[in-house]
Amino acid sequence: MRRSGLRSWHAAALAAVGIAVGVALIGGISTSSAASQAKTVRVAIMTDCKGAFGFGYEPDIGGAEAALARYAHGKAKNKKKPSAGMTGITAGGANIKIVGYGCGNDTVPLAVTETKRLMEQAKADVMIGPLSGDEAVSVANYAKSHPKKTFIIGTAGSQDPTLQIAPKNVFRYHGDGAQWNAGTGEIAYRKLHWRKAAIIMDDYSFGWTSAAGLIADYCAMGGKITKRVFPPLNTTDYAPYIRQLPPPNSVDGYFWVVGGTGTGASLKAYEQAYGKTNPKKFVGNLFFAFLGNFSEVAPRLVGAYVGGFGTSPGLKTKAARAYEGNVAKIFPGLNGGNYADGFVYNYYNAAWALVQGLNKSHGALGAKLQSSLPRTLRPGYQVSGHGVLHLDKNRQAIQDQWPLQIVRKGGKPALTVVGFVPNVTQSFGGLFKKSSPPPGRTQPPCRKLKTPWQGKIRVVKNGVVTKGVIK
Amino acid sequence: MTGFRLPRLNRRQVPLLVVGAAVVFALAYVLLIAQKPPATGGGNWRTTTFGSAVDDPGSFLRIFLDSITFAGALFIVASGFALIFGLMRVVNMAHGAFYLLGGYIAYEIQQAMTGQGFAIPTSQVNTWEWVVPLLVAAPCIAFVGFVTQQGLLRWNQGQELRQALITIAISVIVADQIIAHFPRATSTVAQKFGGNAVSLSWPGWTDRFVNLHVAGVHYSLARLVMLGLGIAVGLALWLWLYRTKTGMVIRAGVDDQKMTSALGINIQRTFAIAFVLGSALAAFGAVVWASQANIAAGQDGQWLLNSLVVVIVGGMGSIFGAAAGAILYAFVLNFSATYLPTAGADCCTQYSIVVTFALIALVLAFRPQGLFGRPG
Amino acid sequence: MRWNVLRSSPKTTIERAIGAIALVLAALGPLVFNQYWAHQILIETFLFGIAAASLIFLSAYGGMVSLAQTALFGIAGVILGNLATRGGPGGTSKGLHLGWDPTVALVVAIAMTTAIGLMFGAIAARSIGIYFLMITLTYSVITTYFLGQVTLVSGFSGIGGINRYTPSWIGDLTGHPNRLYYVSLVAAVFTYVLIRYVVRTPFGITLQGVRDEPVRMSSLGYNVPLHRTLAFGFAAFLASLSGVLYVWWSGQIAPGNVDLPETISLLVIAVIGGLARIEGAWLGAFAFIIIQNYVRGFTFPFLGFGGTLFGGSFNTVIGIIFLLIVLISPDGLMGIWDRALAARSRVGRAGPSAEAPARTGG
Repeated sequence: MRRSGLRSWHAAALAAVGIAVGVALIGGISTSSAASQAKTVRVAIMTDCKGAFGFGYEPDIGGAEAALARYAHGKAKNKKKPSAGMTGITAGGANIKIVGYGCGNDTVPLAVTETKRLMEQAKADVMIGPLSGDEAVSVANYAKSHPKKTFIIGTAGSQDPTLQIAPKNVFRYHGDGAQWNAGTGEIAYRKLHWRKAAIIMDDYSFGWTSAAGLIADYCAMGGKITKRVFPPLNTTDYAPYIRQLPPPNSVDGYFWVVGGTGTGASLKAYEQAYGKTNPKKFVGNLFFAFLGNFSEVAPRLVGAYVGGFGTSPGLKTKAARAYEGNVAKIFPGLNGGNYADGFVYNYYNAAWALVQGLNKSHGALGAKLQSSLPRTLRPGYQVSGHGVLHLDKNRQAIQDQWPLQIVRKGGKPALTVVGFVPNVTQSFGGLFKKSSPPPGRTQPPCRKLKTPWQGKIRVVKNGVVTKGVIK
Repeated sequence: MTGFRLPRLNRRQVPLLVVGAAVVFALAYVLLIAQKPPATGGGNWRTTTFGSAVDDPGSFLRIFLDSITFAGALFIVASGFALIFGLMRVVNMAHGAFYLLGGYIAYEIQQAMTGQGFAIPTSQVNTWEWVVPLLVAAPCIAFVGFVTQQGLLRWNQGQELRQALITIAISVIVADQIIAHFPRATSTVAQKFGGNAVSLSWPGWTDRFVNLHVAGVHYSLARLVMLGLGIAVGLALWLWLYRTKTGMVIRAGVDDQKMTSALGINIQRTFAIAFVLGSALAAFGAVVWASQANIAAGQDGQWLLNSLVVVIVGGMGSIFGAAAGAILYAFVLNFSATYLPTAGADCCTQYSIVVTFALIALVLAFRPQGLFGRPG
Repeated sequence: MRWNVLRSSPKTTIERAIGAIALVLAALGPLVFNQYWAHQILIETFLFGIAAASLIFLSAYGGMVSLAQTALFGIAGVILGNLATRGGPGGTSKGLHLGWDPTVALVVAIAMTTAIGLMFGAIAARSIGIYFLMITLTYSVITTYFLGQVTLVSGFSGIGGINRYTPSWIGDLTGHPNRLYYVSLVAAVFTYVLIRYVVRTPFGITLQGVRDEPVRMSSLGYNVPLHRTLAFGFAAFLASLSGVLYVWWSGQIAPGNVDLPETISLLVIAVIGGLARIEGAWLGAFAFIIIQNYVRGFTFPFLGFGGTLFGGSFNTVIGIIFLLIVLISPDGLMGIWDRALAARSRVGRAGPSAEAPARTGG
């Protein structure tokens, strides 16, 4: 009795598998005949939902959708969960359909697979994304061989997509990892009087690129880097890498570019090697302030200076308040209410630029859209040029940057903007070129040079850009 | 037996000699040969960050202690993995996911007791505020382990690969659920959920340096406590396995499951105990390492790998093996990260992890069963 | 009623019929299926199937469950990427980019991977069972870290844009993805036929003897480690084909392609298909890729908690599906098939003896 039951169960399982495969096959065949509807723009939002930046999923999607709601009549299905979807989006006479959300894990292979899925299975015409540097490199490579599709990078910090590969259908309305740190090295030199410093950086392209921004600026002033340490990604115990750093009495400070899950771990390892962290001896990149690490870093380093994310938390301008208000209205409480996070802001601007492009192209896609995408934008945290951001000839943003400081507000650690670095270019005044070696463990070398903003970084107090220059 | 085996033994002696020579060279390099980098920069194959142990005994001792304390934490996590494998031949691929879940649960408890969504300064944490999270997290994970074993693994006994695959599926589910629901206690400016990095804090009394009175070294008490906890777990496991009746049953089960069952011993109960304890050790290790470093989505793979390596090198299923594997792994990793040459700024300490795993492959090539494992 | 046909026909006839239909469908692929199916799902199925077949070959005929196949797959891709690509503006900034002729690069990549496989095999040949699994896992981890740290050849970001450097006799693959489709299909069929041939040669038969009775074979004068090593080298050759196809398909290769999750994914593919039969490789790859692609849209109204299932993403659903497959059938989909047929034929013959003993890997 039992035996025969088992048999029919197996047959049922087999039949189920067969049906599943059959359905999938039919699905595969039938969708091929579905003609693409006229005047529907298919948009995909690519971000991460796993790995070190998995928490970026809702903030990224929320940023992009907030702009689609504000400028293209979109209605959020769930105000607390952007990934639930959005309906009724129209721009330039076309309906915008969000055909999928990409789920990467900060690695190249999955970014490629997801990009193919979104662009070919979900048949997206435009992608907003991806989230991280290496992913953007692979997306740019993909874009190069798919010129009819358009790619607006979400919030990725690598140089290659717009410097080396630079296909005509890739746009970036925010800075790269080096740009985000512009001005910070100079602050370390002028305000903290660093002359000899060590740097610890994640041993991969974003770590190198981000570090390059700090090194370029600081060395431009005449500072010296005495030691570079590169802990591999996914290091469990940071102790041996911290030991390689010169002890605190032999350097003026440390540039700290350890991210992902390593920021807090490496700082704790430092405390166990050399004792309490002195905020005057630490300058970090965006890992200190954003990307999920603030709660671990901030209590240890109240007073430390931090590079930015292209955003200006607490900036008191009309544009900034308008931007923050727009997001708050659509997705109240998104990203813990921290709308001045590059995850939200950069995706927002990308989607906004897309809406402007579609309005201008009247919903046309491909080359028409690419020539219609705006070469200027008026984003929330742009001040110079009367608030107008320009793209360079590689469709890469020239953007204001805002060095930050960790302070204590109402008894709790918070971020405040201390500097205003106007119109930061990708090239750092000629340091990064198509022909120059890309940022690496020893690139760029520590060299004196003149950055366009040297000596022009303005003091920001209480969210207001003052006339004073940081000395 | 001796007649045809002798020449084979000789052939094996050559690689053994090579390995021996390599070990001797590595020791000599660290102890004597290495040199400090010249003031002008540059250097050669002898140039390391610290120079030899004779030149700079203080740094050598610190790195020695870094290694042995790291081994303590590795051992706590890996001993749970080893226990489960040793008795039941289950390669618990969900060990890393259990670790992660345990760490996050402990984080939530500690935050509920003292926190505001920020990492808590160690000085504000008392012993209870560290112990209670541990006492909540460990049983929680033990329960998850119990359900896994009773519900899914028990009726697939003896099918090693299939059990491993079941635990892989569990790890996928658990890791995804962690991202969906943790961390819950976040500061106002941080994204809730999503599995971002958060950390536990050690109790305040650990936050100081101990003067060792050797070469002027002052060493972190927290790291020494971590070593102490590792040793305590090791001792407790040893007492339990070698000095109690349950332990003897377990060891008998390791040697011969059928025979043990035939003697009328309830091997299933013993299996359940081992799995529950092994899972609880994953949570214990997570509390220790989340206090030492942090806890974040994605570290499940990292700690699964750490456990696998420790157990592979040490010899599968033996507590001594896990200890030996943890020590070897920690020492090679830390010493190669600090004592590989630093000539030319772009070389070579970042290759420590490659060197480490090459050495592990070498160990396995000559002792496939690991250092303390029994063949077969 | 329909099953009566099954009862009277030998199993092989049905399988051949199914195989023939599958082959015809595959040969007509780009005509029958839409673009995404032909150029993504099926190409991916073919090439991951080849890698899985190399794993199943070692398991079914050599008694060795290897976790190094993903690593070898990646090694072939990285070598090809380094040799074939050119650097400079518009090119890739990572790797050696030697700019060799792609055909030469292809041959060298396959040869070098096979050689590395032989070396790996020689070291692992004396280990068996779970120990073999572990040492091959170590290979996979070494490969991941080597590629991640040695920026000269790869670095964490890997090498991109490789699909722009294909041999002239294949041509532009990004512009003509149908070519890649047929290249992959031919490679898959070639792999299948080659394995079926090899296991029938004296070497293959000896290998199966070594699998079942290593001690006896050794005392009969067969060199057991040598046979294992050669089998491993052969599997490395197959994995290298898969790796080459992969970099042509995706354009890039990175340590993320060979890390622990990817290594496990290939094992999952092989196990879903069934570790006992080569056909299972492509069946498993197909099922795996379909699941990965099509569980996104599902919503669960009562268990949702605002998300897909219990608040999680589609990964929770994927985990549950894999769990069910492993629980329902120890031998994967091929095992379900075999037993369903065996059960049917047993009904006809009214005797339980026809059921083949269930094989389990391990």
